[in-house]
Amino acid sequence: MSTHDLVPLERARAGLDACVHCGFCLPACPTYLALEDENDSPRGRLLLMGALLDGSVRPDDPAVGTHLDQCLGCRGCETACPSGVPYGRLLEATRESLLPHRPLPFVARVVLGVFANEWALRPALALARLARASGIAALAARLLPARLAMPFAMLASTARPERQGYEPQGDGSRGTASLLTGCVMEGLFTEVNRATERTLTVNGWTMRTTDGQRCCGALHAHAGDADTARALARENIAAFERSGADVVVLNSAGCGAMCREYGHLLADDRAWAVRASAFSDRVRDVHQLLASAGPVMLPVPAHARDVAAGAIRVAYDAPCHLQHAQRIVEPPLAVLHAANGVSLVPLADSDQCCGSAGIFNLVLPEVAERVLAPKLVRIAESGADVVATGNPGCLMQIGGGLRLSGSEVQVRHPVELLDESYARAQRPG
Amino acid sequence: MSALLRDAPATAAQAATIIRDAAAADRVLRLVGAGTWLDAGHPVRAHAELSTEQLAGITSYRPEDLTLSAGAGTTLAELDAATRVHGQWCPLLPWGDDRGTIGATIATATSGPFAERLGRPRELVLGLECVDGTGRIVAAGGRVVKNVAGFDLTRAVTGSWGTLGLITQVHLRLRARPVVDESWAVDVPASAVAAIEAFARGPFAPLACVMMGTDGPHPEAPEDGHWMVRLGGNEANLAAARAALRAIGTLRPLASEAWDELRIARAPVERALRWRWDPLSRRLRERFDPAQVLNRGLLGEVA
Amino acid sequence: MTSLAAELGRIVGDAHVIARATQLLVYRSDALPGLQRAPALAVFPGTRDELVAVVRALAAAGAPFVARGAGTGLSGGALAEGITLLGLHRLKRILALDPIGRTATVEPGVVNATLTRAAAPHGLHYAPDPSSQTACTIGGNIAENAGGPHCLKYGVTLDHAVRATVVLPGGEVVTLDRGDADRGDGSGGGYDLLGAFIGSEGCFGVVVDVTVRLTPDPERVITLLADFMRVRDAADATSRIIAAGVLPAALELMDQPTIEAVESSVYAAGYPRDAAAVLLIEVDGAAAGLEDDAREVERLCRAAGARGVRVAHDASERARLWQGRKKAFGAMGRVAPHLVVQDAVVPRSQLAELLDDIAAIGAQHGVRICNVFHAGDGNLHPNIPYDAHDAGESARVHAAMTEIMTRCIEAGGTITGEHGVGLDKLPYMEQLFTPDTLDAMCSLRAVFDPDRRANPGKVVPVRACREWHAAVAARPATHDGGGA
Ligand SMILES: Cc1cc2nc3c(=O)[nH]c(=O)nc-3n(C[C@H](O)[C@H](O)[C@H](O)COP(=O)(O)OP(=O)(O)OC[C@H]3O[C@@H](n4cnc5c(N)ncnc54)[C@H](O)[C@@H]3O)c2cc1C
Ligand code: SF4
Ligand code: SF4
Repeated sequence: MSTHDLVPLERARAGLDACVHCGFCLPACPTYLALEDENDSPRGRLLLMGALLDGSVRPDDPAVGTHLDQCLGCRGCETACPSGVPYGRLLEATRESLLPHRPLPFVARVVLGVFANEWALRPALALARLARASGIAALAARLLPARLAMPFAMLASTARPERQGYEPQGDGSRGTASLLTGCVMEGLFTEVNRATERTLTVNGWTMRTTDGQRCCGALHAHAGDADTARALARENIAAFERSGADVVVLNSAGCGAMCREYGHLLADDRAWAVRASAFSDRVRDVHQLLASAGPVMLPVPAHARDVAAGAIRVAYDAPCHLQHAQRIVEPPLAVLHAANGVSLVPLADSDQCCGSAGIFNLVLPEVAERVLAPKLVRIAESGADVVATGNPGCLMQIGGGLRLSGSEVQVRHPVELLDESYARAQRPG
Repeated sequence: MSALLRDAPATAAQAATIIRDAAAADRVLRLVGAGTWLDAGHPVRAHAELSTEQLAGITSYRPEDLTLSAGAGTTLAELDAATRVHGQWCPLLPWGDDRGTIGATIATATSGPFAERLGRPRELVLGLECVDGTGRIVAAGGRVVKNVAGFDLTRAVTGSWGTLGLITQVHLRLRARPVVDESWAVDVPASAVAAIEAFARGPFAPLACVMMGTDGPHPEAPEDGHWMVRLGGNEANLAAARAALRAIGTLRPLASEAWDELRIARAPVERALRWRWDPLSRRLRERFDPAQVLNRGLLGEVA
Repeated sequence: MTSLAAELGRIVGDAHVIARATQLLVYRSDALPGLQRAPALAVFPGTRDELVAVVRALAAAGAPFVARGAGTGLSGGALAEGITLLGLHRLKRILALDPIGRTATVEPGVVNATLTRAAAPHGLHYAPDPSSQTACTIGGNIAENAGGPHCLKYGVTLDHAVRATVVLPGGEVVTLDRGDADRGDGSGGGYDLLGAFIGSEGCFGVVVDVTVRLTPDPERVITLLADFMRVRDAADATSRIIAAGVLPAALELMDQPTIEAVESSVYAAGYPRDAAAVLLIEVDGAAAGLEDDAREVERLCRAAGARGVRVAHDASERARLWQGRKKAFGAMGRVAPHLVVQDAVVPRSQLAELLDDIAAIGAQHGVRICNVFHAGDGNLHPNIPYDAHDAGESARVHAAMTEIMTRCIEAGGTITGEHGVGLDKLPYMEQLFTPDTLDAMCSLRAVFDPDRRANPGKVVPVRACREWHAAVAARPATHDGGGA
């Protein structure tokens, strides 16, 4: 096998060379901790990438497939790396290079196909909502054996109790923002999207809608299907150019990280490179925007205090794509601090991946489960009533895991908690 | 134990010849430093004494490095005098008096009241030269303060009571003497014993904090309930430490000589050693002194 | 070999035995990727009993093996060329933590920083803090007698280990302690077998568990950053501070190329980029009087020519200053693809002179040398970033390193202060030690591992062992593993 076939990886070689083999990334890697083999560590995977390039390992070697497939793409290794190895990009380049040699597993192909096609995605999400609303999801989660039950438990955990809305008041002084609504966010976490719009309004942003937006393409890029990812990116760039808001806001850490990568993804596309990097520059995470405004704290009026009095204990779990990929650490905590009635409790190892990792938990459920296990233990130890995390995959992975383990702990997006505190503040007396 | 033949080599090479000859003739050598403590351990039925008295004197001392090398027969008093003028010390200050030699101190791993804070022989010896029972001249470790080159012969020989080799030279880590160094006798009421113990383990890290028995070695520090405390640090630090001590008990100043008297009074009793002759220890002895030339029987029978 | 793999698989489960060449690649080096030797087999026991059973199975098969912790070693110590690699990273439980007695007992695969984190709620920490502490294992620390920045005041691994359970290469399980050394009252006890074992680089046996001392957190810490326009002045300041008798907790030097690398990394610490060198100095202990110590350090730095001295204002600034230092090696990765790391120790009074010499040697060979080291101990780390694919450059780097080592030995120093000899520094051993001394080292090894099956070929060149020569002469046909 000539290395000629591995063009994307070959072009990312400089990133590989930056690795000094120090091993500092090992304890930061959830799959290394769970699987206990250095082949399943960042240092090991980088070495395999290097071996692919120098020809000492063939692309169809089962070792390569196994260990690179088993990477969560959580990029926990990047924040641990003193040498600045761009692991996430190397992983995507490798997967892209390997794609011609090794077809994706069936499940992955189906899921990616669905997300890339509106005609398949909409009914799929509608069906999911139906299963959730009818209680089928919850039932299946209870009755099926654990591994089969997990997807249903995840789905059931996205249900939200009925809530009163409120009319958000804001002066619009901070500029215009438009939400990339996201497939799963809009499909299953509709309430979080609405909460995002309301809280941003309260915090001084004027919200605009953007028509014609698509899936961000993150799932495709992570799986090595860079072509589909690029196609989706172009559509999104064009759509948001049309709506013309000052910033593109995301409440899904995974999609946000992807959107920030559009510049890199399309760097070699002459027609799109400049537009793509301009787009990426406009991307903001919702917590960033809220935190930069304070966020606004609305006092809860006396008549609504009964709820606030019994503060709920909230543990924050950092989504990898917020903490490691976008390096956004403090803002979500600021958001939770601003939410009246929330008392933050520390969560050990909150920077470790939960095992969700896009579609990883669907493709490699066994590994995902082993990565999730310590997370559930830490959550139980924290004594929290609610776990807050800003990524749909994590919301579902942790939510499903908690549900299956019989835990009462709820999972929420931080913005929901802020929004609920705003709602209470405006409750008519 | 008198009237034995006595050899006093002036170099390691001479010592090696003597040891090799003894091994060949199945003779036993009793290693001797200053001879202040010869009857510790089991009696050695030796054919001759091998003394380090000619291996005496400081061979190199660079105060800026806080390291010093000296022949094994150098007395502790000599080391103290040489380092004191530079505001330094070799803080081993082991039980016993300063006529003892540094070689014997290391060979027996004897430490003293300051060991917890300032270090034990195993921590203060950077390296040493010795001649083992096969006549090998071993230059273990080095003269620098950090060293992991090769297997740690220094630690093996330290505290081996001469049964692995005759130490001929040692390389030591020195310390700067504290800016202020003061000693106090503290009368501690029974209710404050926990407090003084906490003080000893606490942030002031006293150089020593010793409870005195009725056999108090110093007239000023007699019965139960009395502690000897030595503090080292800068002025501000000591002022605070003193205040903390006053909250525990009543303080009387103590001359620093009290520590020397304590060291002598508490010198180890001469008695038979209970040595642990596990298989590893036997193999160690076997590898370094197969003929048991050196101090045969001192540590009891090699079972 | 396949029957051995099967046997080991029966003990630890097949999932924890690796025999496929492409999956063994990753175990071919430690943190010194310039040295690569792939093992033939790797086995990862998950419990103490499995570990002992594995070592016994290896003994029964007469199979040589190499223990490995996290593979952060910088001397090629954990390389198992063509033999069995025994990975200990799965043995990562803290078995006991006694806050009153201030000790902890841990399995060998526990990561150094994990132990400190576990001790933190009790106001305690594990004092030896190698810069790799977030990744390296306590077992590896014992094997290398690891040090770290704060070892200047608190001592190295040797000073903090009190007991260890070890499985000898023959399969015997023994408990090692400090023997007589601990009592110090002449009551006798035993040899300091633990002291002999620490730093034996995996050649004496495998640590099964170890009991270490925990140290109380200091009441207060003051961290200073002094910057100098000449490296020599920073070295001079170091000597002055050491001689003056303030014993800082840590005293680290970084020169300009290192500062540059750090400041360009994610761990940018705010070191002045235009300084020729900075000293990172920490004093700690009782709060009372600590500021006086800090002022004295500052005065000595200024007297030696410091341009500025900055004091960290809060814990986060302090952490940032330290992050930069601790990640400095890694940060050099962005300078060039490969890195040689040296670890010589020299008398502290000669630091300034030696740094000048090292710079001259670097200039003469046309290589770039980055210095980042434990100045307070005189423990130099001259690092050379280079490109190993460039044969010419590699040769120049090698020549420069050899010269630097020779110069350090001439100055009365040693070839390694904390990283160990391993495979990397084997060639210098005969330069440093006499034949008698090397032979005595072989004897010490033979006490623990008479068959030389644990980590063969490391630390002492086998040709230095007379017993080996005798054995070879007696059975000329036998082929020996090649190591001490
Ligand atoms: C960036 C960086 C900075 C570093 N800074 C320092 C520093 O400041 N101070 C310092 O001292 N070192 C430092 N090191 C070196 C290294 O981290 C230490 O040597 C560490 O002790 C190695 O631990 P490990 O678990 O990675 O051991 P490994 O590299 O896996 O093994 C090292 C040796 O120990 C043996 N070994 C491992 N486990 C056991 C066991 N259970 N029983 C017996 N033998 C065993 C192996 O056979 C091998 O010979 C640094 C390394 C890096 C990459
Ligand atoms: S991305 Fe996550 S799972 Fe993959 S190597 Fe890095 S830390 Fe490990
Ligand atoms: S931390 Fe970075 S440089 Fe170190 S081994 Fe991991 S990827 Fe390589």
